[in-house]
Amino acid sequence: MARYVAKRLGLALITLVLLSVIVFAAAQLLPGDLGRSVLGREVSDEAVAEYNREHGLDRPIVVQYLDWASGAVRGDLGNSLVPPEEPVWIVLRPALVNSLKLALYAFVLVVPFGILGGVIAGLNAGRLGDRAITIFGLPLAVIPDFITGLVLILVFAIWLGWLPVTAQWDEGAGPLTQVKYLTLPALALAIVLFGYIARITRAGVIEALDADYTRTAYLKGLPEGTVIRRHVLRNALLPTIAVIATQVGYLLGGLLAIELMFNYRGIGLTVIEAATLKDYNMLAAGVLVIGFAYVLVTLVADILFALLNPRIRYEAIE
Amino acid sequence: MDRETRRAVEEYRHTQAGPIENNLVDELVGGELDREEFIRRAAVFGLGAGTIGMLLRYVGEADLAFGAPTAAAQRRGGTLRVGTVAYGRGLEPYQLQEAGSLGLAGIPGEYLTFTNPKLVVKPWLATEWRPNAALTVWTFQLRRGVKFHNGKTFNADDVVASFRQYLNQKSSQILGAIPESLLGPEGVVKTGPYTVQFRLKSPNNSFPFLVSQTTYQAIIQPAAIAARPDTWVSGGMIGTGPFRLRSQNKQRAELVRFPNYWGGSPPLDGVRITFYESAAPMVLALRAGQLDLVVQMSPQQARTFRNNSRYRVYNAPNSSHNMFGLRVDREPFRDPRVRRAIALTLNRPDIINRVLLGAGTLGNDSPFWSGFPSTHPSIKQRRQNLALARALLQAAGQESLKFTITTHNQFDVPDFATAVQAAGRQAGIEIDLNVMTYDDYYSAVGGGDYNTTTPWLNAPATITEYGFRGVPNLYLTAAYVTNGIWNASKYSNSDFDSVARTYLGSAEVAAQRRATRRMAGLLLRDTPVITAYFLNFVGAGTSRVRNYQADAISHIRVAKTFLAS
Repeated sequence: MARYVAKRLGLALITLVLLSVIVFAAAQLLPGDLGRSVLGREVSDEAVAEYNREHGLDRPIVVQYLDWASGAVRGDLGNSLVPPEEPVWIVLRPALVNSLKLALYAFVLVVPFGILGGVIAGLNAGRLGDRAITIFGLPLAVIPDFITGLVLILVFAIWLGWLPVTAQWDEGAGPLTQVKYLTLPALALAIVLFGYIARITRAGVIEALDADYTRTAYLKGLPEGTVIRRHVLRNALLPTIAVIATQVGYLLGGLLAIELMFNYRGIGLTVIEAATLKDYNMLAAGVLVIGFAYVLVTLVADILFALLNPRIRYEAIE
Repeated sequence: MDRETRRAVEEYRHTQAGPIENNLVDELVGGELDREEFIRRAAVFGLGAGTIGMLLRYVGEADLAFGAPTAAAQRRGGTLRVGTVAYGRGLEPYQLQEAGSLGLAGIPGEYLTFTNPKLVVKPWLATEWRPNAALTVWTFQLRRGVKFHNGKTFNADDVVASFRQYLNQKSSQILGAIPESLLGPEGVVKTGPYTVQFRLKSPNNSFPFLVSQTTYQAIIQPAAIAARPDTWVSGGMIGTGPFRLRSQNKQRAELVRFPNYWGGSPPLDGVRITFYESAAPMVLALRAGQLDLVVQMSPQQARTFRNNSRYRVYNAPNSSHNMFGLRVDREPFRDPRVRRAIALTLNRPDIINRVLLGAGTLGNDSPFWSGFPSTHPSIKQRRQNLALARALLQAAGQESLKFTITTHNQFDVPDFATAVQAAGRQAGIEIDLNVMTYDDYYSAVGGGDYNTTTPWLNAPATITEYGFRGVPNLYLTAAYVTNGIWNASKYSNSDFDSVARTYLGSAEVAAQRRATRRMAGLLLRDTPVITAYFLNFVGAGTSRVRNYQADAISHIRVAKTFLAS
């Protein structure tokens, strides 16, 4: 198991290095330059050139990358290139915390209900419960999150007035207040993910119920609860774990529409703003942080996979 | 008119008034200026309210009326919750260029003068101002008894230090309004504890406009802070305004009442600004009762608040407009008949109704907005004439005219481009649209020289937005005169340049109007730029918000605002 984890960690590290190179190179392809973007169209070319020079953008791209990467390795992500030029981490940290809060809340809402719904549907395949979950789950999964969010805002914020539209609480607000402010965006995400997770779980359950090992378990006289818990769910949840893991990247960095709609400053919005302003340091660090979170969660999912299914770790090592 | 007034006016003209003031009085007496225009011009040249009232009485007009304060109806207390757009760039005064940042900075920060919605320059931190006869030296008297939020007393040192900081940095945004060619840092001179002179490099007839809030960078900060650039924000945004900063970040700013405000303690306890990355959630938050006021929104978004007694829509006509420039040095636009034909295809009232839902005023292919006092009222409005457009195209040998408009995807610009495209189709003109991102449109291409590669200054046909200005001077000098820095149409006409110079050096409104009529005539004939409309500034708030007046620049003016119960 330790060898398996070490191998996954090595791969994760290579992924992150490659990601940083790609992001840094891709950032150079953005139109325009930092100086013009920050100073606007009204200042002279000389002022723009001076701004770029002061921020080291007149150096070769390789030198810029190595400079940035050597800092990143030491834990120094540099300063934002846009006034007030704060350290990148000062800006990224609260955005990351915000994203994690929202992602966690959405997971807490969706994972138990999604899995439960999928299991119920799978165990009752073809019956009323299955049809209800399938019929409701499918449209929920395909409706874009911003449409779901808009409907939730109209109903719960504007018509009923129960929940706030803008997911920004006052400084020093307690956890319950924060939960109240995050309920609508988290619900919008949970609704989108529910159908997805439920359907994957349902398919896994149906497949496991049809499997030889389940039939064998029944034939050797195990009680139904034990069969479902130890044989069906353990195998049925493998694809579900993979799906949930892949959603982490989306929940951390891909929530632009939801963050915009609820004016919630997560890491997605921060990265997009960095790209718009050509703030290369912020952009590279933001993408790296999202990538790191994604790699970390994938690693955890891989380990969980291996724990649930020993064949995986042996195959991987071989 | 009583004998005393007559004697006072004569004494004023002999002992106090210079040639500019005497010309102004002559224009008033001669009927060239109506009451409103006289007040506007008199304010520009620094005449006090008492003098203006006396001169109005002199010509048989009613004296200036001073509105009685509505203190009895005002309710003290409460925090105004304001929504405005997020900003990405700096908050230091010299860096201000976005609605969100200038809106925030303009609450604790104040300016020497105030340009009101009728384009009258009013005293603010300066109480009086006066030019020399050549309009090259403007002397400002400063208000006494004004305190900064840190307790320091405001005086001439603060004005000099602030302006010197802003004029001394190449990257300063103030240079767009007050260029180096007009005023250098050494030209801002203290001539007394409460007197400052601005010694200009060339005559300027409207300098008091340039130190008003329309030049939103020109905030006065304490001299000690101004002497160290980039410390205003970290030092707490110390200004003289009605509210002082308590906290701010890119999501939210909190300001609290400054009880020692020179204009009287403000009714509100505080102001909380929330910055939104896009307008739609801001509008939803106003609907849901999470905001009291949204500084700016599109006319389409404001439609949901019209005819609803719980809300009030603010609609401020102003000089913001789109310049649809046609490169006069390139085919197919070399022939002015082609350019006129394109302009004649536009049904301007219809475009205002469709693109702006009526929230605009007619444009006439020049920067002379009808609200400018210098705009001659007799300039004939261009109207749609498809038959003439076709005839002009035929005469120019361009019956099957085809071209591409390059523009960006922000604000009302893409809708306007689409309207132009549809209008052209009616006269057989085939117009393609190249709608770029905002950044692409305003960037150099391929890392090349900015001025010679950026699309907005180099594409054959472009649509570019221009913000509100209190006078048309910058539009003229930058976008119309030969070699102007933003002359996208490459228009070059020595007659026009000469009249523009005359305009810029004229203090009298009659002379300015003569110049604008002449310039407008040349522009209608040559049509290097098509200006179909001027946009109103639109915002909305709940009906609880009282004494708030929308400002076309996105400033949040709340010194007298209160929340009704």
